[in-house]
Amino acid sequence: MMSTIDVSSRLTRGERALTAATSLTRRDFLISTAAIGGGMAIGIAWPSAVKAAPSNDPAVAPTEVSPWLVIHPDDTVLLRSPLPESGNGSMTMAALLITKELRSDWRKTRVECISLNRDVRSNHVYGAVKGDVFSFAGRSTKDTLMRLLQQVGASARERLKVAAAERWNVPVSEVEARNGLIEHARTGRSLRYGELAADAAKVKLDKEPDIEPLEDAALGNIARGKIVDAQIVNGNAIYGIDAQAPGMIYGALMQSPVHGGKLKHYDFEAIRNMPGVLGIVVIDPSEPRKRLDLPLQGIESWAQSAVVVVAEHYWQARKALEALPIEWDDGPGAQWKSTAQLDQALLEALEHEGEKIVKDEGDALGALAASERIIEATYRTPYADQAPLEPLNAMALVTDDRVEVWHSGSISAQSFIVAAEEAEVPFEKVHLHQCLVGGNFGRRNFGDDLRIVVAVAKKFPGRPVKVIWSREEMMRQGRYRWHTAGKLRAALGDDGMPRALQARICQTGYGVAGLDNVAYTNGLIPNVRIETREIPIHILWGSYRAPGYNSYAFFVESFIDECAAAANMDPLEYRLKLLEKHADPGWIKCLREVAARAGWGKKLPPGQGQGIAISNWGNWGSNDPQAGTTAAVVAHVEVSRSGELRVLQLDIAFDCGRVLNRDAVVAQMEGGMLFGLNMSLNEELNIANGRIVEGNFDQYPMLRLADTPRLNVHFGGLTGHARYSEIGEPPVGPVGPAVANAIFRATGKRIRSMPFRKHDLRWT
Amino acid sequence: MKIDLRVNGKAQTVDVDPSTPLLWVLRDHLGMTGTKFGCGIAHCGACTVHVNGSATRSCVVPVEAVAGADITTIEGLSPDSQHPLQRAWLELNVPQCGYCQAGMLMAAAALLERFPSPTDEQIDAHITNICRCGTYQRVRAAIHRAAAMKKAAAARTA
Repeated sequence: MMSTIDVSSRLTRGERALTAATSLTRRDFLISTAAIGGGMAIGIAWPSAVKAAPSNDPAVAPTEVSPWLVIHPDDTVLLRSPLPESGNGSMTMAALLITKELRSDWRKTRVECISLNRDVRSNHVYGAVKGDVFSFAGRSTKDTLMRLLQQVGASARERLKVAAAERWNVPVSEVEARNGLIEHARTGRSLRYGELAADAAKVKLDKEPDIEPLEDAALGNIARGKIVDAQIVNGNAIYGIDAQAPGMIYGALMQSPVHGGKLKHYDFEAIRNMPGVLGIVVIDPSEPRKRLDLPLQGIESWAQSAVVVVAEHYWQARKALEALPIEWDDGPGAQWKSTAQLDQALLEALEHEGEKIVKDEGDALGALAASERIIEATYRTPYADQAPLEPLNAMALVTDDRVEVWHSGSISAQSFIVAAEEAEVPFEKVHLHQCLVGGNFGRRNFGDDLRIVVAVAKKFPGRPVKVIWSREEMMRQGRYRWHTAGKLRAALGDDGMPRALQARICQTGYGVAGLDNVAYTNGLIPNVRIETREIPIHILWGSYRAPGYNSYAFFVESFIDECAAAANMDPLEYRLKLLEKHADPGWIKCLREVAARAGWGKKLPPGQGQGIAISNWGNWGSNDPQAGTTAAVVAHVEVSRSGELRVLQLDIAFDCGRVLNRDAVVAQMEGGMLFGLNMSLNEELNIANGRIVEGNFDQYPMLRLADTPRLNVHFGGLTGHARYSEIGEPPVGPVGPAVANAIFRATGKRIRSMPFRKHDLRWT
Repeated sequence: MKIDLRVNGKAQTVDVDPSTPLLWVLRDHLGMTGTKFGCGIAHCGACTVHVNGSATRSCVVPVEAVAGADITTIEGLSPDSQHPLQRAWLELNVPQCGYCQAGMLMAAAALLERFPSPTDEQIDAHITNICRCGTYQRVRAAIHRAAAMKKAAAARTA
């Protein structure tokens, strides 16, 4: 259970698998069944005709043209998305990719998630539950996934065309598809998709049609907003926490406050007669369980030792849990008495050579020893919680022949696996209702909330049980961005540019993405040595909007700024000079664009300053210089003499290659910048006697509307390179260092640790 | 204990512990899930509803305190999803994950009732809800847009 090494290897493997191919045979596109065997509709307002039970009346019966799409006689098109919706537009993106080729009417489009149960029962019609859990997760612009969805749309369109041509007895080459109609221009005839669907479902194509290349902004031209937005604004959107079922009961949860501890004692008698109380379920992670031979590996996901109080209503369960006397055996984690103790351990370890040499190119140590111009700085980032606004929760109903679960997990296949594992049943018995995801940022990749509710529901067979975590439970039982310290040393040449860089990283997690795979450490600085060491500690960690990168971008870009200052050079000019020979033109393009747009170097009043930073996320260690997404930020800050910091403006330029939906990209860039800003200014979790101290937003502050700087997103950094790299995580990295560098220019003070709010910024 | 409520204009009677927060009465007893649970300590505002027209964080209001009061939830903000704020929210693509947005909309609706053309300072002071996705810049723009829509509609009917 405490095996953090297992998690790291899983995570790493999973993340690499983001680029793995999803293969689907041609046969899959041709399968057509009369049954409506799809997934569960989520958060979508259905026209009444669609809501009604499937009918055999051909006038109203919908037709499943392929497992991916259903066309109704009234032309409503139901598309099935392999990706859930967590706010980044993935589900809409999937639907748009199908729609683009299908040439259907977007205004009549509805979306639900694919049924994984159907996938396992019908020879993997979606190709979902085979291979890797990440095949259908992560970013929506993976090449393989995009092509698959376009093919789904193209295939159905061609079959509709064949059906129309046959009905008119004309060559199929003479008919065209346009906005939900098949038209025959020569005779001026047209048929609606709803009129053709039943015939189209019977068509077998000799050959799959080619898909069209996607031109820039192709999807944004069909729809700007997300398909679920209309339900979000009237309260009809269904997140996991909103799922309801007749006879449902509720659980309130408490896990061992020190991660890895064990339940020692509790006194049910103290709450037995409280209103609504139905019982207590003890979660014992050491309980032996049946090993299932599942055809798919998930992310390591486990529950902590816990008690769950079950009651007729949620508030009754909460009150009874609060009244329940519980004793815990804290276990070895309690030895970590304070954050200062952990800091001390990390800083001491930085004085010794790392246990792993991640990179050693040229002779960094020799160059440093020989140099008289050494720059050295130590940086730190603390534990941080993803804190999505929907608290963790899940609902489960276990009966003899099926396990039904409702979950707002971010990876449907992971939820599916966790449900099967915990219920100890084969996949065929698992039915997942994928709900809308009320924020993820990495926290909902694990399914630990689902695992707990399935364990509870097994004790209440036949009754739907929903377990809702309190905010405090969620914040103290996280899978955190890990605590990291880094000591960076550079030897500057006569021209002030770094000749050698040594980075020694000591951390409580794993990985150096954002440090070993950025431009500077890949050939631009001739001598580079990166060392790492992991400090074993009981606190659980996981992915957090660009894990690792969000710390290392701060370390590297603050340090480069310190080198520029030591060389007495402008920070922008310094970076441009360093990047002169970089094979990826995107870096320089982004820097020039963001500097021009933000008015870099303009005269500012005392107490104000601009700072700049650039980084790249998503290249997965690729040797191709044009990979991932590069993001450059200019921050404009004001610091009062009494030390009050106000971030006035953030400008960003980025290069993800190409863009399909500009407004969707702008939204992610804005959100990513604010996530990075909150992380840098505010976020910190502390440790006391092995426990996480902060439990809610009164102790873990969040930026509000009044704190929001002007956010400007610029498109002039795009190189047009043939890739659609991710956009949610990259903006998180450069914001913190850009702000810290701006604070330096405003006050002369270097900020070398997060959160910035804890620093004394007074100046005279 | 039986408590009479008036929710979105409809009379309701619930039989609950009178200290139960209004949020859980709405969600769990009345099955109205548009109002969200986010923090439980009135910090995030996801649970914002109107009590007699005032924006109120329902997670810390015992249901007995609002017996007989007029309560409006996101489901009752408009009969047809055509409140200027709802229209502006869609026009400007405000939501990301959307979980905080019901509370954000209810807070904004109360603001517009009080200040039909709010300044940035008034928006800053009254909209203190947390959005983890970072939609704040669009929230501000959409409030201004909705205020303009309301004004234009008023001018047409005048």
